[in-house]
Amino acid sequence: MFRSLVVPRAAARSAFKQNSLPKVVTPSAIARLSKRSYATEAEEKDLVIIGGGVAGYVAAIKAAQEGLKVTCIEKRGTLGGTCLNVGCIPSKALLNNSHLYHQILHDTKNRGIEVGDVKLNLAQLMKSKDTAVTGLTKGVEFLFKKNNVEYIKGEASFASEHEIQVNLNEGGERTVAGKNIIIATGSEATPFPGLEVDEKRIITSTGALALEKIPESMVVVGGGIIGLEMGSVWSRLGTKVTVVEFLGQIGGPGMDTEVSKAAQKVLKKQGIDFKLSTKVLGGDTSGDKIKLDVEAAKGGKKETLDADVVLVAIGRRPYTAGLGLEKIGLDTDERGRLVIDSEYRTKLPHIRVIGDCTFGPMLAHKAEEEAVAAVEYIKKGYGHVNYGAIPSVMYTHPEVAWVGQNEQEVKASGVKYKIGSFPFSANSRAKTNLDTEGFVKIITDAETDRILGVHIIGPGAGEMIAEGTLAIEYGASSEDIGRTSHAHPTLSEAFKEAAMSCYSSAIHF
Amino acid sequence: MVSLAPACRLSARLTVRQLRRDATVRGFRASAKCLAAHNFTMPALSPTMTEGNIASWNVKEGDSFAAGDVLLEIETDKASMDVEAQDDGIMAKITQGDGSKGIKVGTRIGVIAEPGDDLNSLEVPAEDIPAKSPTKVEAPEPAPSTPSQAPKPFRSPKKQTYPLLPSVQHLLHEHGLDQSAIDKITPTGPNNRLLKGDVLAYLGSVSSTYPTELSARISKLSHLDLSNIKLALPPAPKATKQAEAASEPVVEDLEIAVPVSMKAVIEVQKRIQSTLGVFMPLSTFIARATDVANDSLPRSKSYKPTADELFNQVLGLDGAASTNGYRGSFLPQITALPELTPALNPSLVPSKKADIIDILTGNAKPSKPSFSAKPSAGISTAVNVFSVKAPKGDEKRAEVFLERVKAVLESEPGRLVL
Repeated sequence: MFRSLVVPRAAARSAFKQNSLPKVVTPSAIARLSKRSYATEAEEKDLVIIGGGVAGYVAAIKAAQEGLKVTCIEKRGTLGGTCLNVGCIPSKALLNNSHLYHQILHDTKNRGIEVGDVKLNLAQLMKSKDTAVTGLTKGVEFLFKKNNVEYIKGEASFASEHEIQVNLNEGGERTVAGKNIIIATGSEATPFPGLEVDEKRIITSTGALALEKIPESMVVVGGGIIGLEMGSVWSRLGTKVTVVEFLGQIGGPGMDTEVSKAAQKVLKKQGIDFKLSTKVLGGDTSGDKIKLDVEAAKGGKKETLDADVVLVAIGRRPYTAGLGLEKIGLDTDERGRLVIDSEYRTKLPHIRVIGDCTFGPMLAHKAEEEAVAAVEYIKKGYGHVNYGAIPSVMYTHPEVAWVGQNEQEVKASGVKYKIGSFPFSANSRAKTNLDTEGFVKIITDAETDRILGVHIIGPGAGEMIAEGTLAIEYGASSEDIGRTSHAHPTLSEAFKEAAMSCYSSAIHF
Repeated sequence: MVSLAPACRLSARLTVRQLRRDATVRGFRASAKCLAAHNFTMPALSPTMTEGNIASWNVKEGDSFAAGDVLLEIETDKASMDVEAQDDGIMAKITQGDGSKGIKVGTRIGVIAEPGDDLNSLEVPAEDIPAKSPTKVEAPEPAPSTPSQAPKPFRSPKKQTYPLLPSVQHLLHEHGLDQSAIDKITPTGPNNRLLKGDVLAYLGSVSSTYPTELSARISKLSHLDLSNIKLALPPAPKATKQAEAASEPVVEDLEIAVPVSMKAVIEVQKRIQSTLGVFMPLSTFIARATDVANDSLPRSKSYKPTADELFNQVLGLDGAASTNGYRGSFLPQITALPELTPALNPSLVPSKKADIIDILTGNAKPSKPSFSAKPSAGISTAVNVFSVKAPKGDEKRAEVFLERVKAVLESEPGRLVL
């Protein structure tokens, strides 16, 4: 009852006297209080997550919501990883705004909107991109605070199986211990042997998001999604872009060949040059222009391409440097991916791995699914990710999106299949938008009508693919989609009509 | 050994699940005889266990047992463990007796009946093929011309508990199939959803086995392909320790109390009355002291910042707010010392009593007796105990608040009037 009696009264009184009336507690007293809570370094957390990217931060928030005590370690200084800082998000800002610019230059006049004297302010374009990025990374930090996730800025490395040493960004070191540990360190752009990346002239996607002036010419090495998106941005802003791809098709091996060909045709019309089945031999950066030696993959015909900037976009590789994996004996496969079992466990079962640094497609939404599943395995003993229903999207214009198997894969598996497709040129909304490039293609099992894959090229494909993903997740047949009402007039009607043409026939085509 | 203990618990739970599953399946079987018994198989007591030996049975054939009874003891290469019954039942038959060696996990070791079953009329079920490889169960080719006879199901039909897919509904109506037919169709979709192909197979328009094959193929795609890893696969892990959330202690309100002398206040009160001719009741002093002391208190430990505050913090805009502190809303309860009821009997207020703290700190002065001013109800003119109730996490705030009230009232009450 009289606990406070022990407080020396004289001391309290003198503390009071030093201050004017309303401010009685000195700020130093508050500081002392808060410092005290940091002193308990030996505390063992339920879960320590290395990496604050999409995999790491989602796992951290999910685990906190499940009632675990969580620490997340990130060395970049901002949360969100590659996706938010130098990937999906900034590229979409540039893609959207460059598309607007391109449309004003080439398209709005036909629609009856005449804009005089269009100027591009690259610095402002970059600033608006940075605003989007900052807003989102700060948003994640806010979510950490809201969910009581401890956020440590620093570089982590394993000290032992349960302890992680953090080299703090602000200086100093700290050790955190965790009953469970999740490694979510992500990936980095794979460098091209013989082309040293300086992010000014030889760039990766990171440099392509922050060029200071619009280059006259650009060669993109690698015609995958990243290469085509960044190529599109700079091509729209006025750069002469040439894409060199080793494979015989653009968009990577996952893209349906028919869709890939259609995309190539449209992008070519937009001014991008393609050199498929072509190998890059090496480059010379000594001159004013970069000289890139290329050779047809089969024919052996050599050629030299000149470019102001070369974008290396041949893929990404797991990033685990500095983690000290060897100290605790964790295995990686020959491509650097951390070896896991079906529950994301390494051979030390309290350490799990999710996202780009382990197996599966390197996609933010796949990492997110794994984050939730891994936390559920820790907390509930069961988690679920359906790798057969993970969509892919390329945000060029028109967009390309797909989920499930493509036609070449279905053919190779020996299954009898049916295809239903519907062009946007027959879709009323696409017509009114004067944006009719592309089609929806649905592949079903010939006997049972079960949907095996959905492939879309066209306006808004990235949004529309959600319906296809849901269909595959639920084991739907094309008839299930065809018998579901779709609003008129919308682009999604093309989706419905493609389904109808699978099991019977489309009405409007 | 020690680490195996959680593993056992885990697998014991798995057994329950298996038993329950069996139970539900049984519930849907048509034949009443099958309701009676089911196979009791060698349980996996750890994730790595593939086979084990039976040390001894603790029950005999025909014995009844209750959930939790130890049925038998099993030895593995690592340890020997008791297997407990998960449900009440009767041990109808023991097929692998004491001392049986090298019994594969999933092999039948006995037959369990429900409590109350008559063992004499019990039909002993056929031994299941070990559940490990359910993929290739040979099904006899159904007669193609008799679609009314349900094809041999690969998986037992499950009741459809959600709306049927539009394609399924359409086919059912088109062919005049009713609920009893639906229950006979084998679903092959995710979570046993009935798909269009399943109805087609039931109707005989596609091969009865085809939907199952397709489902197997698609479900293979739904998993990460971890089969071609170049490095050796890690040994099967031990069960992970589940992080246990510490149970939250019950939040209690703490009472914090500080004795405060009213001497100085009364002196000031007297001076004001003599110089200005205005009488200020003690309650005014206390109300003003409370007001001042509630200003800029340290933040409560249990305080949950609002979304706006968090966002400002992230953006670094919280500097201004935090230096000003956080306003409290404490209202002190005042009790006179020693305990009596001054409201009823103000004349008995022991005004002569010295402040115990003043004595302890050497500041004791002889207190002046009896004032003309009438003290407010419940307030002694000498020492009063000011107390506040503070929820857990707020003790510090409450202490700071009370110390401040005390300081204001005891040393500078004059400022409260200004």
